[in-house]
Amino acid sequence: MTLATEAAARSEQTAPAAAHLLEFRNVRIVYDNAIEAIRDVSIAVPEGGIVALLGSNGAGKSTLLKAMSGILYTEEGVIENGAIRFRDQEVHRLAPDELVRRGIVQVPEGRRVFPALTIDENLQMGGYTKTAAEARDRRDKVFALFPRLFERRDQIAGYMSGGEQQMLAIGRALMTDPVLLALDEPSLGLAPLIIDRIYEVIAKLRDEMKMTVLLVEQNAQRALDIADYAYILETGRVVLDGTASKLSANEDVQEFYLGVSGSGRKSLRDVKHYKRRKRWLS
Amino acid sequence: MQYLIQLLISGLAIGAIYGLIAMGFAVIYKSTGLVNFAQGEMTMIVAYIAWTISTTVSGNVFVVAVGAILTAIVLGLVIERVVMRPMLGEPVFATVMVTIGLAVILRSSINFIWDAYPHGLDLGVGRDIVRIGDIGVRTGQMAVIATLLLLLAAVWAFFRYSKFGIAMRAVAADDRTALLMGISATRVHAIAWAASSVIAGIAGVFFAISYDLSPAMFQLGLKSFPATILGGLDAVLGSGVGGLLIGITENLAGGYLGSGMKEVAGFAMIIVVLMIRPFGIFGERDIERV
Repeated sequence: MTLATEAAARSEQTAPAAAHLLEFRNVRIVYDNAIEAIRDVSIAVPEGGIVALLGSNGAGKSTLLKAMSGILYTEEGVIENGAIRFRDQEVHRLAPDELVRRGIVQVPEGRRVFPALTIDENLQMGGYTKTAAEARDRRDKVFALFPRLFERRDQIAGYMSGGEQQMLAIGRALMTDPVLLALDEPSLGLAPLIIDRIYEVIAKLRDEMKMTVLLVEQNAQRALDIADYAYILETGRVVLDGTASKLSANEDVQEFYLGVSGSGRKSLRDVKHYKRRKRWLS
Repeated sequence: MQYLIQLLISGLAIGAIYGLIAMGFAVIYKSTGLVNFAQGEMTMIVAYIAWTISTTVSGNVFVVAVGAILTAIVLGLVIERVVMRPMLGEPVFATVMVTIGLAVILRSSINFIWDAYPHGLDLGVGRDIVRIGDIGVRTGQMAVIATLLLLLAAVWAFFRYSKFGIAMRAVAADDRTALLMGISATRVHAIAWAASSVIAGIAGVFFAISYDLSPAMFQLGLKSFPATILGGLDAVLGSGVGGLLIGITENLAGGYLGSGMKEVAGFAMIIVVLMIRPFGIFGERDIERV
């Protein structure tokens, strides 16, 4: 059985008619009892699609992913309001390992492979919640997807290139047999050619393996090219959402995120000013 | 020649005790990234409890051994749950300071619970002398060296091959990412503390059998710390070997250079070794890709 049919078969059994696989409902997240990082954000991720979360640094994209994975508490973050629902069940109070068991996993920003462990051991850690037999099975599938990892399986992960580490990080997440795979800035710090390769894999996960993908990116162009639907976050709020094609055509998005300038070159100062005004007026 | 061999053997025996305690340091460091300065105190407490069991319940070796191991597990788990877990996510420096505070509390508790006098832990074993030619070796000394070697092999295999051992290394390297993979960091920490406490306790009981119990026993921790640094804080095996090296060095220095040198020798060796290999003889360099 391939990764695809397995995940599909499982989701049919357990979620007969869930409109959305994952849903953030009016979520408000506060750090340290003082800093409001997310204000009333609602995001829906339908099954089988790719949803992109866009926005600049500090917009709150990673915070949402941390909330999804149940690790906000490690940074003194709390969901003060709202709910996160997965397959129509509230999941935002579950422990991280329980969330992984239910099929939610993320590839963290900056890849975060375990540097002193070998590639094989890194993958084994991805399969931590699985039995030994399941983990072996999953590992063969990950090796099939990334032959490069198989070639270098006994090498220390910390010595791999950035692109290889990103593949390992994705492979490690796939070891958990996810239903929903979230990727936090998969293109960060990688050469354009490597980014192409990573995005090919993401498309493959959706098309061939019917996986649902939540894609967090600063690289809006890349994300909008592949996503079905996208949300744009700014300072903890959703300021715009819509289908990827609609957002790509949106003038403001083109101006601020895609670097397309409709009316000739503008100075950065003008853009910033305009952006600030625009935000206040909306 | 006979003098030299005698010094080497007793050096190996005390070195094995240092090595065990040093392994305790390394197990905690490897899985939690912390230096536990209460390691010597944990050694002492377990030895005292073993002594209490031997005087009140039964002097049978197996009863005392099982009792000591069980109490060591409980001690480790309680320390992790009550003292260390609330410190999760706090700066390493603050957490290490907490272990120093814990050390002082445990050290003083000896005087509250027991007394300030030395006691012998007599289980009727370990004090017989076996003669090999001109050399006399106590069975207790042979047993502690054998125990160290056995534990070294077991711990090495555990970290290298078992899923849980690899998870301990993963948690030490990056506990948040380990959480994202569904590894429960708190469980890993709890088991590391329990294991470390058991290893420390074994060392304490062996020490008490061969020498004596006294409220100054916590100094074993201070003497074992150089062994851990020497072997590499993240190297459990290296720590065990480091203990043997420190033990031999101390004994040779004490035997040939005068007993005053005994205390200094281990630390002098550390300084030299660290100048050449700052991460310890068996420690891993931090991986930094440029």
